[in-house]
Amino acid sequence: MSLDTEKTPQWWKKKDVKQTFVIWVILTPIIGYVGSTVQIRSMGAPASETMASVINLMGLFTWVAAPVAALVGAMCLTTLLTKSHYGDNPPHEAENEIRNSPRANAIWVSISALLCLFALVVGLIVLQKDAGALTDKAAMNINVTGQQWVWNYDYENGARSSVLYLPVNKPVVFHVTSKDVKHSFWVVQMGIKIDANPGYVTETAVTPNKIGVFDIRCAELCGLLHAYMQNKVHVVSQADYDAWVKTNATTEAAA
Amino acid sequence: MSVETHAHHEHPDVVGSRNRLGVILILVADIAFALSMLFVYFYLRMQNVNDMWLPKATADVPATTPISSSTGYTITAIMAVGLLAHFYGLKGIQAKNQTQLKLGGQVALILSLVGLGYQFNTIASSPFTFNSGGYASCFYLITILNFVHIVLTVFIALGNWNRSRLGLYKADHWHVNIVNVWWIWMTVSSLLGAFALSFT
Amino acid sequence: MTTTMDRPASAPGQSRRSKPLIERLNIFTALALGAISALVVWQLALHFLPQLPDGQQYFNREDKITLLSMVAWFIGFMTGIGALIGPFRWLMGKDLSHDENMFYAGKDLGVKRYFRYTTDHKVVGIQYLVMTMLIFFIGGTLAMLIRTNLGHPQGGWIHPQAYNSIVGTHGIIMIVGTIIMVTGPFGNFIMPIMIGARDMAFPRLNALSFWLIVAAAVPLIWGQFIGGITTGWTAYNPLASQAPLGMDGYIMFICIFAISTMVAGANITTTVIRMRAKGMTWNRTPIFIYGTVASVALALPAFPVFFLSQIMSAMDRALGTSFYDTTHGGSGWLYENLFWIMGHPEVYVILIPAVAALMEMAPVFARNPLFSFNIAVLGIAGISGLSVLVWAHHMYMAGWAPLLNAPFMLTTELISIPTGMLFLVLVGTLWRGRLWVTMPMASIFALLWNFMIGGITGIYLSDVPADAFLHGSMYVTAHFHYTLMGAGLTGALASLVYWFPKMTGRMFDKKLSWISFWMVQIGFNVAFMGMFLVGLAGQPRRVETYAKMFSRGNLITTIGAYVIMAGMLVLLHGVISSWRHGVKAPMNPWQAKTLEWSVANPIPLENFDVLPVVTADAYGYGKAKS
Repeated sequence: MSLDTEKTPQWWKKKDVKQTFVIWVILTPIIGYVGSTVQIRSMGAPASETMASVINLMGLFTWVAAPVAALVGAMCLTTLLTKSHYGDNPPHEAENEIRNSPRANAIWVSISALLCLFALVVGLIVLQKDAGALTDKAAMNINVTGQQWVWNYDYENGARSSVLYLPVNKPVVFHVTSKDVKHSFWVVQMGIKIDANPGYVTETAVTPNKIGVFDIRCAELCGLLHAYMQNKVHVVSQADYDAWVKTNATTEAAA
Repeated sequence: MSVETHAHHEHPDVVGSRNRLGVILILVADIAFALSMLFVYFYLRMQNVNDMWLPKATADVPATTPISSSTGYTITAIMAVGLLAHFYGLKGIQAKNQTQLKLGGQVALILSLVGLGYQFNTIASSPFTFNSGGYASCFYLITILNFVHIVLTVFIALGNWNRSRLGLYKADHWHVNIVNVWWIWMTVSSLLGAFALSFT
Repeated sequence: MTTTMDRPASAPGQSRRSKPLIERLNIFTALALGAISALVVWQLALHFLPQLPDGQQYFNREDKITLLSMVAWFIGFMTGIGALIGPFRWLMGKDLSHDENMFYAGKDLGVKRYFRYTTDHKVVGIQYLVMTMLIFFIGGTLAMLIRTNLGHPQGGWIHPQAYNSIVGTHGIIMIVGTIIMVTGPFGNFIMPIMIGARDMAFPRLNALSFWLIVAAAVPLIWGQFIGGITTGWTAYNPLASQAPLGMDGYIMFICIFAISTMVAGANITTTVIRMRAKGMTWNRTPIFIYGTVASVALALPAFPVFFLSQIMSAMDRALGTSFYDTTHGGSGWLYENLFWIMGHPEVYVILIPAVAALMEMAPVFARNPLFSFNIAVLGIAGISGLSVLVWAHHMYMAGWAPLLNAPFMLTTELISIPTGMLFLVLVGTLWRGRLWVTMPMASIFALLWNFMIGGITGIYLSDVPADAFLHGSMYVTAHFHYTLMGAGLTGALASLVYWFPKMTGRMFDKKLSWISFWMVQIGFNVAFMGMFLVGLAGQPRRVETYAKMFSRGNLITTIGAYVIMAGMLVLLHGVISSWRHGVKAPMNPWQAKTLEWSVANPIPLENFDVLPVVTADAYGYGKAKS
């Protein structure tokens, strides 16, 4: 590859730049599509608006990152495919002396700064929404207590259970604490998580939007049976919930 | 190609400045340590979890009363005088005065021993136990680590005085400069501890 | 070597008297003295420590006894190896004579040098190399136990307590192994020659930093037999307060290791600042040196915080203080803050020198100047600077300060800018070079691939709402393995092959280096892609059993892990066989331009007879002859 023998064309007309461009155009959609699809599929169906926005966010970030990853990949592939030398002795030294390129540096740094800003703004918008849910006056409150290795839930009417029941489409705020060591309260399909700290109460909020049974797992190593510290959340209709919470309130109060 | 002399013939100033930099870098670590100790103190004080920074009296345990902040400042004052004594010795050797060097080192050594005894007494006579809440825990942490610092200071002051006594600082005295750096940090770290403990 | 004159200040007659003691001390006396003092203190403590009333959860006599015995081991071992001779000779005013210093440097000692308190940086480098390999061997074995247990949803053939201990031990020793894997062997062996120095600034501290790691290893192993480290490598309190006695082994290990990094950090930094060859201005200093210094200098302020957190942990356990006990005014968040103030700089302590080593190799194997040296330095400096401001992104979900989540999200995402600069430098150097396809060259591509995945997944994790889903899941585990192993270890393995000829005088077997490269990289990507998938599906970290829905992803990971293991064994075979009877290496097999390739094999005791003078940087390939 003797690019220098050509009469130094403008940089975008050079052969390796064209090759890189072609590979980049091919790679970008592949990376974006495969990266986002595989991740979104693995995350499964969301059971709340919060989780849906997490999934959207992951897909969006993957698509935004794809051109950068593809550019690095394309430059590597072009170089590797055209300039490789095998053997026990080094090849001649490169003929192109590129020690620096202020233009390339400036473009690269500006793009990464812009992407960084983009990620930040998108993240802040979603974060704002999540934080707003905590102060929702219409929300029902549930106290969650972690202890080695079970979760207990206390409802507003005094009911207590070890399996969580929630009415669908009703905002709920969890007040989470722990009796012994640190746990982490993770409602998987609803995309929320907050640590249960001994001595403190932490809060997280969600609005389940799908009837069904979903997973709650402890996400912080909490000793011997950490792996077994998981149970279910039953999201039911408001009528079913009212009936359930009433029977439980009476049985618990009697006990 | 230069023809620099053999490694072992390096000029004392070169060796001295290298050692000084090394000690300062180690002090960077120690400073990070001291600052994180202040962080511990003020974080726990601010949190006052379960209102147990200074527990109130219960049926079997009396309320925890903090130590007067003057003890911390007294120990700092002792170390500061030690620093001055060492600095006096350093000034002496800079003026080629071996007697002044020895005198300064001797006084600094004695003061470091006094400080050691005083600090030990503060810890041993504290009116609470390890289990008396956040303040007590922090008090022990800060004073015990200051005690360890002073033990090191005694070692260094002893070596410094012994070496001056043997006349080892006739040719060069960068050791004495570095010991001075240590004394300065020792005083400052003691002051930081006293400062923290004065917020009860 | 010319060893003609004595130092003027020392008196040869005085020093001769205690010379035999210096010569008698070695690793065996150290082990013996350490074991004896531990036993004696253990017995004394058993007899004289008062029994305590029951029911004091945070106040444990056994912890006191264990910690005292471990401290006794530490002091005994360091005395036995001879670490205290220097300080006490200083105290007595009998400085080491020139002959004694030469003895310490390992003059005419042959193989015995490697089992003593030897100060020669080349000996220390080899000691670190063997130590690192040993750590990876043990840590890798533990990883295989974990993966085997997780091969099947019902796994469960390891008891949960033992499983948790294996996870914790794997974590902490791999962290330590990766911290020392580049700055230990190559930072000690290669770095002084690369800058044209005869040794480190403080040779005795250099030996100290290595032997401290040996001394630290024993409490960790000891801890395995008294309950293990059941808390994961983070050892969060108050979980650590209720953990078995093995936790004391962890605490001692961390404290001693923190001293080692501090000593090594001060030593390496001083060496680079004060001892570069004439003419080696900062513009002509190789980029690997920048990486090494950034790493160890970052560890200087970071590790004391960890040290303090463990001292407090020990005080809680043994004395009954309440730093982390919320019923007595302590706070678990305090521990988390202290831990991560160390913990985040620490990952860059691992990553930076590995990337810098590959940046050093990129010009050599692309036969092209390093692209944009200034951007490379800026990138390293930027990462180091920002890394101390991002720790709370590990605590988004801790609830300790929800208002700080947004600022920490900002600082964390800012790190992608200097990280991007490192990519730019590597790709820019390869661009239009002539690639000499060797294992180190392939490792640069592997790093770009792995680090790209590790970096992009890091951006998801830095985003608070996404982290609310991902935190504490296997996704995080896969992410940091991509950065620390996929990027970090790849750089370290390339460094091993690249500098092997200089360190051992023999070439690394080419075929074996390629076989292990492909096995490790393919196995690695299979294993951790599988782990990403189960993380996204909702599998938490550090579990010894999991729901059936995760079984396929876990099986993939386990298979990948076995391929990595096979690849690492091939590499181990390559190291041993090439070291013993590889092809003799020429002085400069890669035709590189840094100074370490200008000294003969084997390297003489003080490296340079005549100190070199540098007139240009080391990247004058091609037409570039600056």
